[in-house]
Amino acid sequence: MIGLSWEDLRCPYQENRSKTTASLVDRIKNDITNRRLQKKNLVWLELNGCSGNIISLLNGQNPDFQYLITQMTNFIYSNSLITAEGSNAIDQLFNVIGSDFILAIEGAVSLKDNGKYNIIGKKNGKAVTGLEAVNKLGEKASYVIAVGACASHGGVSAARPNPTECVGVQNILKRKVIKLPGCPCHPDWFMGTLAYILLYGEPPLDNRDRPLMFYSKTIHDRCPRRSYFDRGIFASKLGEETCMFKMGCRGPVTLIDCPVRQWNGHVNWPIGDDSPCIGCAQFGFPDAMEPFISYNITRGG
Amino acid sequence: MPERITINPVTRISGFMEIEADIASNYVVDSKTKGLMFRGFEKMLLGRSPFDAVYFTQRICGICSTAHSMASTLALENAMNFVPSEQGRYLRDIIHGCEFLQNHLRHFFQYTIPDFVKLPEEYPLFKVDHKDYRLPKNLNDKMVKDYFESLDISRSAHQMLAILGGKAPHNHGVFIGGITSQATIDKIISLKSILDDIERFINEKMIPDVYEIANYYSEYYHIGRGYGNLLSYGCFNNYQDLGTLYVNPLVYSNNTITVFNPDEITQENEYAYYDNNNEPDIQKPQAYSWIKAPRYNNVPYEVGPLARQWLSGNYRHGISVMDRTIARVFEAGKIASIIKILIQNLIPNVSVQHEYSTPVKSVGRGLIDTTRGALGHWLSIDNSKISFYQIITPSAWNLSTQTGNIKGTAEQAIIGSPVKDINAPVEIGRIIRSFDPCVSCATHVYTDGKLINSIQVV
Amino acid sequence: MQLNLFLDFINNSIKEINTDIEKLYSNKYNNMRKVLDHLNNEVLMLDNYINYFSNSNQLRISEPPELYISTIAQQVQPVINGMKTFTLEELAKYDGKDGNPAYVAVNGVVYDVTNNAAWAAATHFGLSAGKDLTNQFASCHAGANILNMLPKVGTLV
Repeated sequence: MIGLSWEDLRCPYQENRSKTTASLVDRIKNDITNRRLQKKNLVWLELNGCSGNIISLLNGQNPDFQYLITQMTNFIYSNSLITAEGSNAIDQLFNVIGSDFILAIEGAVSLKDNGKYNIIGKKNGKAVTGLEAVNKLGEKASYVIAVGACASHGGVSAARPNPTECVGVQNILKRKVIKLPGCPCHPDWFMGTLAYILLYGEPPLDNRDRPLMFYSKTIHDRCPRRSYFDRGIFASKLGEETCMFKMGCRGPVTLIDCPVRQWNGHVNWPIGDDSPCIGCAQFGFPDAMEPFISYNITRGG
Repeated sequence: MPERITINPVTRISGFMEIEADIASNYVVDSKTKGLMFRGFEKMLLGRSPFDAVYFTQRICGICSTAHSMASTLALENAMNFVPSEQGRYLRDIIHGCEFLQNHLRHFFQYTIPDFVKLPEEYPLFKVDHKDYRLPKNLNDKMVKDYFESLDISRSAHQMLAILGGKAPHNHGVFIGGITSQATIDKIISLKSILDDIERFINEKMIPDVYEIANYYSEYYHIGRGYGNLLSYGCFNNYQDLGTLYVNPLVYSNNTITVFNPDEITQENEYAYYDNNNEPDIQKPQAYSWIKAPRYNNVPYEVGPLARQWLSGNYRHGISVMDRTIARVFEAGKIASIIKILIQNLIPNVSVQHEYSTPVKSVGRGLIDTTRGALGHWLSIDNSKISFYQIITPSAWNLSTQTGNIKGTAEQAIIGSPVKDINAPVEIGRIIRSFDPCVSCATHVYTDGKLINSIQVV
Repeated sequence: MQLNLFLDFINNSIKEINTDIEKLYSNKYNNMRKVLDHLNNEVLMLDNYINYFSNSNQLRISEPPELYISTIAQQVQPVINGMKTFTLEELAKYDGKDGNPAYVAVNGVVYDVTNNAAWAAATHFGLSAGKDLTNQFASCHAGANILNMLPKVGTLV
């Protein structure tokens, strides 16, 4: 392995796909440097969820988070990262209204008791619910991006029996919401979508408002283990190199580019880790994708 | 007449929190820590397939998801009466260790440093809202550089996690028996290489940085002590050949260290938004938080890196904001050296997976110390489905509500703190952040605390 | 079921039916049986859509369409090896576990989904095998084309 890096071992097709994000972002940098573009404001709103999408964002590489906040956008707010606290922070959030801003939302909107199960701050002594923040900011943003499963369609926050009546952001807003389902959302899916917006405007979306550049083919159709599936060679436990269809793999019903993009700097991905895909980037996750792990499933004749 | 101040949102934590503090003569005389979000995980888990819990519970938290996969897996192994092989344990604990590294790096640099270091204000995210920045320019600039460099290092900790775990956050690798994949030689050398970089950064930048801050903010060695009770469920311990690499299940109180007894855990909800049937009750009169009140022997305890460093004998300088922060940085170094030992003891290409079957009816519990402290999952299986699931997180211990007149751990730590400027009460945020709060973890709690004692391991 | 989804499905079915009719007129197809089966299925789908839409919107149709079962079709039924009848109780055994294949019933026909990629762990978007999923199919899938790809193992009685 001496002298070789992960990059050298990637196939050109894969490399091309992973570089889509980087090349889009480079164009923005040039445009901003040459004053063809003004840096837009970006607000990152965390709602009822695990805040895993901003952690995933911090795992981005080429472009990374530093690039995002220094070269691509004026990053205005994030509950996890902002220096200010209390009313100063919440004021910074709402002061963005009136400017040209992109709103990225992670976490679901909790509806029960008028949103009181998810309070994101206090303004003028009054509690601000996630629901209220989405309503106030959502219609005023130039673009709204639902980052992750919970913001896209409720996700795990809305899992049966959905105790706090969580829904995806689109259920609250009349205007279009670009959806990036995933649990979490891969940093590249967000960065690439953002880069497209900054350069050209709304990216081509499918009929569920997912950017086609990431969400156009099933994992199954690009799975390196497909030949095992086609020949009926199935794993009966985790940790095998064969097809995990009989373990419950949701690759066939999940439209996302994990097989080529992989995760965390392209070092691995769930199926590469000898565990099945649990459909985290597909609508219906988690309830419609269960059971995640099954043994004792019959193989066909 | 004390003046009441509120900080909401408490930023640079995981999740949503409000702190209420009553200030008299520039001292905090009373305080409440309030968890402000609720999802209801324990209710969601009912009826699901037990194996799915390993993946499902990870979604409780995005920065410590591995912690929940660990506790869930341990609870399932307990319910299945399954003992993993030592190789399986090493592999799994390496993934767990990577999560520690990621968390501590991000908590120190992204969550803590902005309280003491002025980051470039040309970036709106870093706009300051107080004046208590004491570092001279050269030190401040150095730490800014380290803040940005740490982004690469913490990212590489998650990359390390993904080499064995598939992806991070929300890994796939941790499972019954150990991990799903095998550690091949190329993966092992990859891990060692990344770990080398992380360890160097911790030793050359992170540890000196925390001591620089301690130098200029030394009064914080005497702020935020709280009760001084420390607890750990143990972690990286009890290996057959390696013994205990870190800390055993122990408890420290009144200058005495005793062995931890899980049956002494109880959980109250007197001031939390739950009624007598443990249904969420947002109208409950005296309630002020979604976080319940775990107690050990009816006493509030602190959990986390300081508790572990103390109980293992690694750091016993004191119990305070600064000690907590230093202990967390030290622990990052300790975990890195533990991971090194585990990697050294790996046998490449060992497969630890089997065909498992769900027990039809069983109970189990998984207790483990993780990034923020002591984490426990308790579960019952009936008719091959989850019939009961309870989770007590480290942040529930630390951010607990009061019971009777006994304040929660962090509340007690805030009480007695000086507040120099009531219009910029920086001390309070610094105290609470030293606990590394994770409110998304702390507030999914749902079921009757008294049931814990009745859950016996079969 | 939403009105626009219902209309989309109806439209789709009509297109499929028109294609089938064209094929029949052209007289070029040797296997008329197959075209007729598909046509039959599309009409069944239309019937199911109407039922599902009216039920889910609590509407009452003045003359509920009667399920037309061609007696001639039944007489000319080719004998296919392994074709059998299933009651709902019998079907329940075929849940894809414990060595049993995974079967599902739609529009009265029982299909084998054991090796169907969309049915990992014998489940599909929260549905389990071994059941009559006619309504669920009608609420999610436009047209009977998907059914044509599935191996048939019998009929539901």
